[in-house]
Amino acid sequence: MSSRNQTEWNSIPPNLQQGEWVDSQVYSDEAIFEDEMKNIWSKTWIPVCHESELKEAYAFRTMTIAREPVIVVRGKDMVVRAFLNVCPHRGNRIERRPSGNYKGGTPSGTPKTMTCMFHAWSFDMKGKCVNISRKEEGYQDRLCESEMGLRELKCEVYFGGFVWVSLNDDIGMTVEEFAGGSLDVLAPSLNEEPLEVFHYHKAIIPCNYKLWHDTNCEFYHDYLHYHNRITGFNDAYFARKNSGFDGGHINVGSFEVRYDNYEGSHSREELSFPHLPPNHWHMIDMFPGVNFNLRGSALRCDLMTPLGPNSVMIEFRGLGLASDSEKDRQTRIDHHNSIWGPFGRNLHEDLLAVTGQGNSMHPMAESRKILHGRHENETIHDENGMRHYYEEWGRLLDRSPSNPDEKFKPYPVFKQQAAQRAEAETADAAGK
Amino acid sequence: MAVSNHDIKEQVKELIYNTCIHLDDHQWEAWHDSCADNFNYAIRAFSPEIQADIKYHGGDKGYMQSITSMLGKHNSDQSPLRRHCVVYRIDVAEDGKSATSISSLTVHQTQLDGNNSHVDAGTTSVFLVGRYNDKFVVDGDSVKFEDREVRLDTRRLDKGTHWPI
Repeated sequence: MSSRNQTEWNSIPPNLQQGEWVDSQVYSDEAIFEDEMKNIWSKTWIPVCHESELKEAYAFRTMTIAREPVIVVRGKDMVVRAFLNVCPHRGNRIERRPSGNYKGGTPSGTPKTMTCMFHAWSFDMKGKCVNISRKEEGYQDRLCESEMGLRELKCEVYFGGFVWVSLNDDIGMTVEEFAGGSLDVLAPSLNEEPLEVFHYHKAIIPCNYKLWHDTNCEFYHDYLHYHNRITGFNDAYFARKNSGFDGGHINVGSFEVRYDNYEGSHSREELSFPHLPPNHWHMIDMFPGVNFNLRGSALRCDLMTPLGPNSVMIEFRGLGLASDSEKDRQTRIDHHNSIWGPFGRNLHEDLLAVTGQGNSMHPMAESRKILHGRHENETIHDENGMRHYYEEWGRLLDRSPSNPDEKFKPYPVFKQQAAQRAEAETADAAGK
Repeated sequence: MAVSNHDIKEQVKELIYNTCIHLDDHQWEAWHDSCADNFNYAIRAFSPEIQADIKYHGGDKGYMQSITSMLGKHNSDQSPLRRHCVVYRIDVAEDGKSATSISSLTVHQTQLDGNNSHVDAGTTSVFLVGRYNDKFVVDGDSVKFEDREVRLDTRRLDKGTHWPI
């Protein structure tokens, strides 16, 4: 058989088993997307920015999580807190700017307060309502400031200074517990000394957010990248391990990248992050849509904001050490942007590829079987990272990734992976 | 005979506009030839998100030559970019050996293969808006780029591009 008719096209090769493909509805269905907003994105920890974006007291950043407006502020006590960016009076978004500082006041508000411009209700950096304009005239003694505080959100600064927020008051776990050990591999490099954001740009791409996360989770797509083929493909590259962690997170193990093999590119050895061997490259993909990617001298972080079943905003940050000299910082920026900037060699290729997937798996497209079936001893071109992600996804939504209209079933391939993880953990423990 | 300021300004203007044609048409060698050996190129923008000036891309002449020479090895969106540039101001140094200019820039992209080519190919939209802030070295009748900063207003570049702007 060569090409296939529709029945053949929609059938599954007999030697693949459930869990080794997902139905493309998971990337396009409106009801599934709403389910994800409600049962995943509203329930979990999401990193929203880095503490270096809030250096001074009264600094703020705004963002959205699961379509809810969020503001993160640094108080006079230098503690970072998060609130819904919504006025309790008439539901207006309190802060419109992406960032700033409340030290100087705003047209409707006094200094050092968050003031809703609509009716000038004001709040301090702890979310306490400090002014209801013409309160006595309008509310007499029926309403007071102490009843009108902002909605505070769970917030932690963790893992190299990233600010994590959850809409879920009952999340019942710290970020460390949520990470399930997946961050440990980079913690020494990121926690050794303060980091600083030097790069930010964003892209809105017409594809489902999970397609971007899938791309970050699998390296089989390095065939897309001339840069990665020429600097990477060797025995050490193909031996990199893909490891799963509780909660749907994964790690991609490291190897030494041969940057010199790409014309115009140079070793990054002199500016390696602390505790990172020269020119090494680690990747962490956290459920449901976060990526930490450390290539020798520069850390990249992708934060996703799903906008619809076929639309995602990706915010790209680049980070170096806060202690960098001006010269070193410039070198790190060049290293980062040569690959990962909006004019870089790799990012454009990745975004082109997921745009093509989005074209083919839009909400009105017929459902397709998307293969996640490569097994290569959990190394770099194995697709266990995606399978591991969709196991967690299925569990949380109680939907089977291979047939999302059915309830979640722990497919045999998931059980095999769990057994392999347990075996690896036992071996690690014995090794220690 | 010394070249007049007026003539230098005309040469600068001609160079900027000709370079737009070279860049539009991917005549990379012609672009490199119009740059001095110590040429530097950068695409920058101020990010109100992180309150910092950001360099998105750039390097010296050798680096720009390298990356343009390797474009064929990369998978790129081949949707053409067309520059609309207006030279706002040219200042010539007192000694007539250098000049600076500010030009307004809009780059349009006409879709080819970046999205769904059946539907989108032929559709033109604004890709980015910004300015060229250029510096030139003047040597008699010869004017060459010494520095080009593409200062972007547009910061949402979506898929981005492999091509210099």
